Amino acid sequence: MFGKYKPMWGEKTQLKSSYDVVIIGGGLHSLATAYFLAKEHGITDVAIIEKNYIGFGGAGRNTAIVRANQRTQYNVPLYKEALDLWPVLTKELDYNLMFNNCGNLNLMHSEAAMKAARMTIATAQFHGVESHLIDAKEAKELVPALNISEDITYPIHGAMFHPPGGVVRHDAVVWGLARGAAKHGVEIHQQTEAIAINTSNGKIVSVETSRGSISTNKVLISAGGYSAGLIYKMLGIKLPISVLTIQAMVTQPVKPLLNHVVSSGAYHCYANQTLKGEIATGAHMDHWPNYTTQTTAHYIKHQAEALSEFLPCLRGLRFMRIWAGLADMTPDMAPILDGNDQIEGFYFNCGWGYFGFKSCTASGKYMAQFMADGEAPDMIKPFNLKRYEQHKLMGETAELVSYTPNN
Amino acid sequence: MVTRITQLPTLRIDPAQKVVFDYKGKDYAGFKGDTIATALYHNGVKIFGRSLKYHRPRGLYSLDGECSNTCMEVDGIPNVRTENTLLKQGMKVKEQNVKGSAENDMMGFIDKLDFMMPAGFYYRTMHKPAVLWPVAMKQIRKAAGIGTISPDFEMPGRFEQIFPSADVVVIGGGPAGMNAALAAADKGLRVVIMESRPWLGGFFDYRTVDYRDSEYKKNKQLYIRAKELASKVESHSGIRVFKHASVVGTYTNNLVTGFQIGGEKDNFTERYIEIRAKSVVVAAGCIERPLLFENNERPGVMQVGCVHRLARTYGIIAGERAVFSVGHDLGLEAAIDLFDLGMKILCVADVREDGQNPYLMIELAKRNILLLKGWVVSEAHGSKRVKGVTMTTLDGTISRDFECDLVAASAGFTPINGHLTLAHAKLRYDSHTNFFVADTMPERTYSAGRMLGLEDSLSIEVSGMLAGLKAALECKKFYDAGICKTSDGVANSQESINQLSSEIDTVTAKLKELPGTARGSKFVNAPVKGRKSFICFDEDTTIKNIKQAVEMGFDVPELIKRFTSAGTGPGQGGIPGHNLPLYVAKYTAAKNSSSGSHPKPTNVRPPLVPTFISTYAGRKHIMMKRTPMDQMQRADGGVFRKIGVWERARYFSNDFSCKKEIENVRNNVGMLDGSTLGKFRIHGPDALKALQRVYVSDMSKVKAGRIKYSAMCNDDGCVIDDGVVIKLGENDYYFTTSTARAGSTIEWIRYHTRFDGWDFYLVNLTDSMGVINLSGPNARKVLQKVISQDNDASIQDVSNEAFPFSGYREFMIKNTIPVKAMRLGFVGELSYELHVPSSYMVSLWNMVKEAGKEFNIQNFGVEAQNVLRMEKCHIILGQESEQRTNLLDLGLGFLWDRTKKDAKTIGAAALRHAENDPTRFRLVGFKMEDNGRAPNDGALIVDDKVRGYVCTARDSFTLNEAVGMALVESHLAEIGTRLAIFEDECKGELIYGKVVPMPFYDPDGRRMKS
Repeated sequence: MFGKYKPMWGEKTQLKSSYDVVIIGGGLHSLATAYFLAKEHGITDVAIIEKNYIGFGGAGRNTAIVRANQRTQYNVPLYKEALDLWPVLTKELDYNLMFNNCGNLNLMHSEAAMKAARMTIATAQFHGVESHLIDAKEAKELVPALNISEDITYPIHGAMFHPPGGVVRHDAVVWGLARGAAKHGVEIHQQTEAIAINTSNGKIVSVETSRGSISTNKVLISAGGYSAGLIYKMLGIKLPISVLTIQAMVTQPVKPLLNHVVSSGAYHCYANQTLKGEIATGAHMDHWPNYTTQTTAHYIKHQAEALSEFLPCLRGLRFMRIWAGLADMTPDMAPILDGNDQIEGFYFNCGWGYFGFKSCTASGKYMAQFMADGEAPDMIKPFNLKRYEQHKLMGETAELVSYTPNN
Repeated sequence: MVTRITQLPTLRIDPAQKVVFDYKGKDYAGFKGDTIATALYHNGVKIFGRSLKYHRPRGLYSLDGECSNTCMEVDGIPNVRTENTLLKQGMKVKEQNVKGSAENDMMGFIDKLDFMMPAGFYYRTMHKPAVLWPVAMKQIRKAAGIGTISPDFEMPGRFEQIFPSADVVVIGGGPAGMNAALAAADKGLRVVIMESRPWLGGFFDYRTVDYRDSEYKKNKQLYIRAKELASKVESHSGIRVFKHASVVGTYTNNLVTGFQIGGEKDNFTERYIEIRAKSVVVAAGCIERPLLFENNERPGVMQVGCVHRLARTYGIIAGERAVFSVGHDLGLEAAIDLFDLGMKILCVADVREDGQNPYLMIELAKRNILLLKGWVVSEAHGSKRVKGVTMTTLDGTISRDFECDLVAASAGFTPINGHLTLAHAKLRYDSHTNFFVADTMPERTYSAGRMLGLEDSLSIEVSGMLAGLKAALECKKFYDAGICKTSDGVANSQESINQLSSEIDTVTAKLKELPGTARGSKFVNAPVKGRKSFICFDEDTTIKNIKQAVEMGFDVPELIKRFTSAGTGPGQGGIPGHNLPLYVAKYTAAKNSSSGSHPKPTNVRPPLVPTFISTYAGRKHIMMKRTPMDQMQRADGGVFRKIGVWERARYFSNDFSCKKEIENVRNNVGMLDGSTLGKFRIHGPDALKALQRVYVSDMSKVKAGRIKYSAMCNDDGCVIDDGVVIKLGENDYYFTTSTARAGSTIEWIRYHTRFDGWDFYLVNLTDSMGVINLSGPNARKVLQKVISQDNDASIQDVSNEAFPFSGYREFMIKNTIPVKAMRLGFVGELSYELHVPSSYMVSLWNMVKEAGKEFNIQNFGVEAQNVLRMEKCHIILGQESEQRTNLLDLGLGFLWDRTKKDAKTIGAAALRHAENDPTRFRLVGFKMEDNGRAPNDGALIVDDKVRGYVCTARDSFTLNEAVGMALVESHLAEIGTRLAIFEDECKGELIYGKVVPMPFYDPDGRRMKS
């Protein structure tokens, strides 16, 4: 019933000596950009250059949560579009991305947090995104495992409930987009490392790779945590990005227990149940810049301590696996999507921190439009690099700027 | 019921002590020392549960928890590996993932539908039409997951944690590990040894063959040798033994984590163990590599070690009629030993054509056991348990059937490399041992024993000794380098190091003379065309699935693992960890000669053994800071909230609008515990320079006897903290920061002064000083009373002239309590802030309260303060500001001294830039139109777009109207501008306010200043 088994993203081919567009990085933002370039803009002579294999980085390491309840008016429409795209892409790609729109429950642990949530909720509602403030009892009705007693470090006062969010199968998105892009003619070259980008008179002319030189006049770097390093190394453009390790873990699988994504800022912890039944949990980043994907002993312990408090029944489950990925953090926790400015034909898309998964479809769509037109679409204009020079941060995080390697 | 052998010297059960437990509502009995699974097996239970996807019956396969075959629900806890969980009196045991029973599972038919479920089928189905998916998803969720846990489950037991330190940690209590521990401990080092099983001994523990070594007495059996070593280790004063303790993580710099399961006499159920060691010896041994054949996980198919240990350790002969299909000498040895214990063995197939140990060949022959060299089992028959097998030659040309109820199957061994790879060892595939071996070892980490590929018992021991000595040498070097000092004064002279080095040379030479690594058995895939050769049991991943994945373009084992789920189940890589890379290498090589055939291992991740969240978490520990006034405020009816790291009195009644508290401060006098403020002293020759760097104001203008309010900005000009600064002396200042930021601001100051080589000290007094805020028209009278008794006249004078607004005074109360007093006006009234050492806080608090009695002084809490200061338009960072709010946005530009000489003020460049930027936000005050109610904090200011938001707004009792502050785009900041306010849940119904001058209350500041 499944017919012959064929390579999903095409047979391995020789690298050509020239492409219209070269995309460095084989993660979600690259794959999505390539897909939309080919499908929406008819630019099919595209090569994706991936050092390892597609989905090796953040694309395969995130915990697959999607939502559109961000804080600012710039972000909400973008994430809303990304959220709306999951069912559309499932159909278009004919690949089950397994969107489970179970809704996200963001716990609030103080009166102040409840008030802060009102702004986020008002922003969502103003932009037509469903989100509500609910009290602790209502939260417990949604997630019976919640501990709403006073007897914990941060008692639960209520929650921000965002029904349209949920979980998407991250690997499926990688493979689905790769398959879709390849169908439209995009070439995906794995085990191929980009080594240098050559420019002439302020224009892109070629890309050097471990498998030879490619002449092109449009290059996109969207290589997740590695982007900032590559962009600096290859083109000398310095970005206000720190790369930090972020860890996540899963328990052994159990029958349905959590019907919503539950997250808590105060505990630095979220938990959701995968379709396989594992409880996936993670949240904060290590506090120091780090290009490795090493896990640490204390992170898993912290996570256990936090879950023990607000989801105490999980004490009877076992952690099965912890892993780490990279988050490229900007000072305002909003990404940088820019290009065709510093160098003609050079585009970049990075700084997503730990929001790279939820945004990838919309980001790819608008980056593709950007690269096709040479002009940034309105939707992504606010995410330019200049805002940092102008000291105009985006305000995606409400918190005061903390001591980080950036300031 | 299986009869037990109750008289064996190797038994780890006590047949004299019965343990009664409940299985599916009925009482069963096992023996003390049994695991749950061995007790069940003894009682005739062969099927323990059903598999995840196909609901195939699953039985006892291993005894070390490599797969989830024997996972059951025990006392409400799901996924308990009953094969290595000790049986306890009264345990309640249930099957998992069954509809009906494990024996008769109504979902069993799914096994026949495997053709509908090829690799990654779920990505290609169930999404068309779109309405199907939510329905299908529900079913998937129900079908997925193995055990069940109740949302109100409370984990019983006591979970502890310990953090011991050690010179050498030895992972594994087998012969190599024990030798390593002894070698290092004999050199005077502190050694910790961790062993997963409840006893030391490793794979010597259940073996009776001779300890083949001339140096010892002949005819000493291995288990006796194991006991000798164990008693040496356990009686050694330098070795701390953790039995029943698995290592689950190894991290950079030799941090080792694990957990121990408590025994009868322990006061813990489990305890988390974390050790920072100087050196680590990994002697974790091997597990068996599963043999791949059709129905290779049918109940009745077991690993050789499992069959052997069931007999030797638990007294259970696992089957009536057994066949063996093995690839190593241990398999032959097990067959001989089990034959002697009374097992009927029909045949032993060995995939090796040659290379068997001749001694074992003779013993097999003596017992007339049929040995088929170059043969392998290709298929197990029987629907719920094994009823027979087909054996074939490796090329599949000849085959024979046997009727049997037990198949002892093992392809070879797999070294337990997880501890090494987690510590960043790089693995290489070694074609002699057929092991992945660590090529580059982590620093100060050594491995020993079977995991190196050694098989000879003495080689294993000597390799352990060698690793122990090497670990010891590194420790000694560590001490000698002055990094650490020995606790027991062990001499670490160059001499002792030289001696140790030469000892290492001797042992190295000795090891060379002994048999080296054994040739490992090659990867064998039984020649059978079936659909159910399982490479991963937990996820029901078959060889066929792997082929499908490869055909679809997944060519790296790690990716195939993701696509097919192999190795992602409860047992992680235990079953497929070795076979998957070998199979993929073989298959891709056959398919495409150009691609490399070198096996690449999949990732191993912590925890190496699944670990309870309760074990990682330990007991509940709520760590909040409390001020010295905590109890007194609670006694006064304070309603407390956790705010940041503190517990603070937020209200003093159940009226959360705080009407009474507010009115009492406005009309009389109130007191507030302000002890949570960040309080710091900075002093030293360059203290002023540091302040000039971080504050926006010119701090050289801070005068003695006066307080200075100022702010700090980051590089973007955004305000990161504010507070007052007091000059105590030349280059000696006392300053406050906001409560929330205290810790991070101080780090920030250090960060920004780190390169200048300035000489100053920064002292955190946050916890050692307490603060009483005394506010209200009668505050002066109260203060007067408190200090009148014992200070001289000049100090006693707290009149407005003597102690004016913004003044600072120091005085003593009762000649004992030193007070730093500041005249401030955060709440907009006459107000004093009294800073005293925390230990005097209670006394002073009582004095103030006593003195205030005649004025009916009352407490007020944080929320009342919030409203009071809002009416006065005094900002609180984080409420009237956010990350992107700069000094100018807040209207605090007057604090910024642009002309500061010789000081690079942080943020000044950004502020200069922002001065000319018309697009920034401004903080404005507003009143609601038509006497309307106050909007919610966080409500948006909108037109067709979001133009700002309400920071704080309240229905003011003092002003009798609704007022608030908002951050809005600057074009809306003009006085008189109408603000359209969009609240959450307003459904498009806007409310309106009007920008008005700030502050709302006492605009001239007369109340505050007089």
